[in-house]
Amino acid sequence: MNKYEAVIILNPNLSSKVDEFKKDFEKLLSDNSFKIIKTEDVGRRQLAYSITNHNKGHYILFNLEGDPSKLLEIETKIKYNESIIRHLFLVVKEHVAEDSSLLIESRNKKPEISSENDVSKKEVKIEAPKKELKEDKSDDAKEGTE
Amino acid sequence: MMLKREQNNMSKYDLPKKFDHKDTDILKQFITETGKIIPARVTGISASNQRKVTKSIKIARFLALLPYTDMHK
Repeated sequence: MNKYEAVIILNPNLSSKVDEFKKDFEKLLSDNSFKIIKTEDVGRRQLAYSITNHNKGHYILFNLEGDPSKLLEIETKIKYNESIIRHLFLVVKEHVAEDSSLLIESRNKKPEISSENDVSKKEVKIEAPKKELKEDKSDDAKEGTE
Repeated sequence: MMLKREQNNMSKYDLPKKFDHKDTDILKQFITETGKIIPARVTGISASNQRKVTKSIKIARFLALLPYTDMHK
């Protein structure tokens, strides 16, 4: 039995089908008597360089336990799965129970996505000072008339 | 007479207890703008730490968390 840490990068266009993929993958793992200790769905992320013409990827992290001989079978199946852009299985001495920095980063980014909705608010804010400026001008004009 | 090698300020890097290829913020300290790994001669960190840094940077590059170069299209 080895302890593994797996990183899988999915095609970003299939982001909506992640749950289906997860179920299939967990089935594949359990069929090969792999234990899933922890999964982290990091979500879509900008890639540092394009992989097969994709600039974004959906990252999923797994903490696994299983036999190295069965891992080969899993990897051959992953090879022919077109929705997986890239995968990596690393042997680790001990699993890290804490959330990875990637997941924390993605969580911190989520509020930013909601802030995109705030753009309209920002625009309103920009408009507001303009009005003030106009008022200032009118004030000036009034002063001029006075 | 012993000549001591000048030691750089160790405090200029955040060194974690355990290096991880997912901590891109920490690893980014050890690559140049062009994406090269900064040599130990410059970083001044211990040899064992430098080995861990290089290894995790190379893994992070494979997973597209860090760039290999700045020439990527």
